[in-house]
Amino acid sequence: MTAIVEVENLVKRFNEDVLAVDGVSFTVEEGEIFGFLGPNGAGKSTTINMLTTLLRPTSGKASIAGLDIMTQQDEVRRVIGLVPQDLTVDDELSGRENMYLQADLYDVPRDEARKSIEDLLEVVDLQDAADRLVKTYSGGMRKRLELAEGLIHHPRILFLDEPTLGLDIQTRAAIWDYIKDLKAKHNITVFLTTHYLEEADGLCDRIGIIDHGKIVALDTPATLKRSVGGDVLTIGVRSEEDLTDLISSRPGIISVRKEDGVYRAKAVHGEAATPEVLKAIWEKGIAVTSVELSRPTLDQAFLEYTGRSLRDAEQSGSFDKAAAARAMRRRR
Amino acid sequence: MLWQTLALTKRELKHWYRVKVQIFMTIIQPVVWLGLFGQAFNIGQLFNAPGMPPGLFQQAFSGAPNYFSFMAIGMLAVNVLFTCMFSGMSIVWDRRFGFLNKLKVSPIPRGVIPVSRIFSTVIRAMIQVVIVFAIAIAFNYVPGLTGLGLKEGFGIVEVLGSFAMLFLLAVGFASLFTTIALAVENQETLFGVINLINLPLMFASAALFPTALMPDWLKGVAEYNPLTLAADGLRQLAFVDAAPIHSMWFNIIGLLLFSGALISLSVLTSRRLLSNR
Repeated sequence: MTAIVEVENLVKRFNEDVLAVDGVSFTVEEGEIFGFLGPNGAGKSTTINMLTTLLRPTSGKASIAGLDIMTQQDEVRRVIGLVPQDLTVDDELSGRENMYLQADLYDVPRDEARKSIEDLLEVVDLQDAADRLVKTYSGGMRKRLELAEGLIHHPRILFLDEPTLGLDIQTRAAIWDYIKDLKAKHNITVFLTTHYLEEADGLCDRIGIIDHGKIVALDTPATLKRSVGGDVLTIGVRSEEDLTDLISSRPGIISVRKEDGVYRAKAVHGEAATPEVLKAIWEKGIAVTSVELSRPTLDQAFLEYTGRSLRDAEQSGSFDKAAAARAMRRRR
Repeated sequence: MLWQTLALTKRELKHWYRVKVQIFMTIIQPVVWLGLFGQAFNIGQLFNAPGMPPGLFQQAFSGAPNYFSFMAIGMLAVNVLFTCMFSGMSIVWDRRFGFLNKLKVSPIPRGVIPVSRIFSTVIRAMIQVVIVFAIAIAFNYVPGLTGLGLKEGFGIVEVLGSFAMLFLLAVGFASLFTTIALAVENQETLFGVINLINLPLMFASAALFPTALMPDWLKGVAEYNPLTLAADGLRQLAFVDAAPIHSMWFNIIGLLLFSGALISLSVLTSRRLLSNR
């Protein structure tokens, strides 16, 4: 695998005192789906805007497909596609006209454009609505059109800034399918930002958790989840006898707690530890009434790395920082 | 690059002609201006008082047979100004709705963004000018109205010459207002700037009133207003004994410089004005 995005110590400072991105470094491998996960105002969009040449970094270096984002902007623009957070399709044009306009902007030859536009419209299920004005579209349809537009010039990497923000669950699931399809069919690299944990978990090969402009963790979703602790095994038994020691003596069990008549055991690998524990209880002649194995969620990992302070208030200026500080004090 | 400019120009024009009200306004606005303003200000009548030497009106008003004819020519130039002043409006909207960002991440030269707006505005201005011209002529055949009286022998060369000068005027004004729109952040500021320069530009010119009758300080400014250059050039083509303010060459070169300088300014500043820091 080769790196398609290389970022080194990238910094973006707005008006002296707001440090939006504080020296991030990472690489994205060609062909992977890479997610930036972080609370509001963490610096996700700012990073995307710098990588897509919309914003000039204050300092640091970044390259896409070996092209420098500061000195080779035009070349960078040819190899990237961007689906921005705001809906930027043109309301007063039809879906198909939007696609053709986009193709013209990227110098896609007419014949080639005609073919890929029909293909892409089919991929995002918009053939039937293609000749309607976009102002009659729903939010999900606009987003799908936006996604198709981002692909018209066959970019090597597609940037998706909060691709499912504000969409209903069905549309969100559909968008995820499109993204997975893209990766499977075209081996396109996808860089996305999100603050939906299940999105990052289900979609991304690797996740960078970003907070206060810094990357606080970067790994596969599975490893990130494992890093905050093991699986939780919950067992109910029909017995007054205390089984705490018995359970904790089994291999792979980290700790056991008795709560409300059930035992909660933490295990490194839940699937391996469960039969061991059940066997031990069974051999004592005690009946097991319920078993549940739950995996740690990315939510836990996320909160572990980013803390629980309120974020919405923090992103714009010092006044709001004061408000957030007050909110934190109240909670203590 | 030309292809991309044309694609965006087409987009602008689609926005315009798909709104039926705008088409209606384009036609009705000149009717109102020419019909009311043009007919009401019958200044020529004042010169017909007993004891006035004959031909005095023609002498003061560039050889026009009546005030309506004088004004109709000026109105062609004013209509260009009025069409062009909202030239950059779509940039302000595109900035607000994020469409501008889409253009900025695409590999088009930055100059394409203003130039496409300028092209589409110039096309609209020229359509408007044809309508104004046709209505002014048509008034000749409406009983009770004064129409545009052109000199004998006003032919195809004069028509093309007139439209060429109006074209240059449109390029200049469209570039000016597009550059302003690139530089301001929001529409309130843009409206403010447009209002500030729009009426002074119209009144401090020979478009609606001869500069010869203005006080010296105003005359000095008004004679070099691009609207004056266009109106003066057009009247020399339209009327006999037009008593020119400038020579025809001065007007043409002046308009060439005006349009050339402002469209270059628009392209050259677009790179800086469209970059985010």
